[in-house]
Amino acid sequence: MNSTATDAAEVADATDVTDASDPTDATAEKDAPAAPDAPGEPGEPDVSDGVDVSRRRWPRVLGALLAVALIATGGALYAEGRQLRDTPATANLALTDAEATTRVTGDVSSALGKIFSYGPGATAATRAAAKEILAGKALQQYAALFGQVERQSADQKLTLTTEVVRAGVTRLTGSSAHLLVFLDQVYERRGRAPTTASAQLTVVAELREGRWWIVEIGST
Amino acid sequence: MARQRTARQGTAPEGTGREGSAGAVRAGTRNPLVIVALALAVCAAGAAGWGGWLRYEATHDDAAAFARTRDDALAAGEQAVQNMNTLDHRSLEKGLDSWEQSTTGDLHRQLVDGRDAFAEQIAEAKTVSTAEVLSGAVTELDERAGRAGVMVALRVTVTAPKGEPAVKESRLLGSLTRTAGGWKLSALGQAPVGGTGG
Repeated sequence: MNSTATDAAEVADATDVTDASDPTDATAEKDAPAAPDAPGEPGEPDVSDGVDVSRRRWPRVLGALLAVALIATGGALYAEGRQLRDTPATANLALTDAEATTRVTGDVSSALGKIFSYGPGATAATRAAAKEILAGKALQQYAALFGQVERQSADQKLTLTTEVVRAGVTRLTGSSAHLLVFLDQVYERRGRAPTTASAQLTVVAELREGRWWIVEIGST
Repeated sequence: MARQRTARQGTAPEGTGREGSAGAVRAGTRNPLVIVALALAVCAAGAAGWGGWLRYEATHDDAAAFARTRDDALAAGEQAVQNMNTLDHRSLEKGLDSWEQSTTGDLHRQLVDGRDAFAEQIAEAKTVSTAEVLSGAVTELDERAGRAGVMVALRVTVTAPKGEPAVKESRLLGSLTRTAGGWKLSALGQAPVGGTGG
């Protein structure tokens, strides 16, 4: 079917005087319908050439459309895949990275136990421990708080023991973690029965030089 | 297409030298175009295949599915804990219905059994409780068994007919079980005070 059309084209091409000087087929195809008033050129070959051009073009157009469709499909699938995978849910590694979750929970729990536990004569040790655990804003917050605590502890012979009841990771990335911590604080004054207070804190920790530092402590 | 054409031209009776050379020129100039078209087609097929593969992987990514389940469980858990701490004596039935809808298993049974007595109590006390979730986290998740543990820090405001509203912060531990209707609370309690660390 195509060959008969091409045959016609070749006949037309052969009779076309200008064709010989045309260096490429592409220009011939373009030029032929564009030059209807060439001298001595009858209308018929032009028409057959036009039909031929459209027939010869359709596989190309189809191919191009197919290629575009394939690329578009690929792009759409890729975008959909990204959307499914890169969600706020997947960016949060809490529990999905079980090892990191356990580690940060353990580190922060033991750190809070250390910095919020002190005895009347041992506040210096607690203060020293805090410098190894806290950084940034948390260190400033703690320093302000601990000044009062040190005086109180000395005056009232106060002992505070803090124990983490439960800690959970609300948000975890490669280098930072947000935690919710439930803790019990036992106050003991010499000569009185100890009192227990329950508290909950939100903690922001950052992984620096291979260990977790507490950078922010807030009440919920 | 170009090759077919030249071959046919060779056998064509009207094929002349001029025609043959023109065909050769045509084949020569079209080849790069064909190569470009082929390359484009390969690229297009590759793009579609690659996109399809990524899309397939994304749906079958266990970590992504686990993360989604975790967030679903947390959202359901926080909502359920909030529901369980919200009750208005003026719309008792609605409130207690929402309690029952938020729970399953033993906790659900307890609520159903104690409903009438509790409703009477609240109707008499005329209290309005509202709750606000401050923060929550999933502490454990067993995707296969359909069980999860959540911890929720909550601020509860109880308003009685007389006196100032009482605001209390409470820390709750809940167990969630996956049901046909989503994640539901199967146990809920205050985090123990003075217990051993967990």
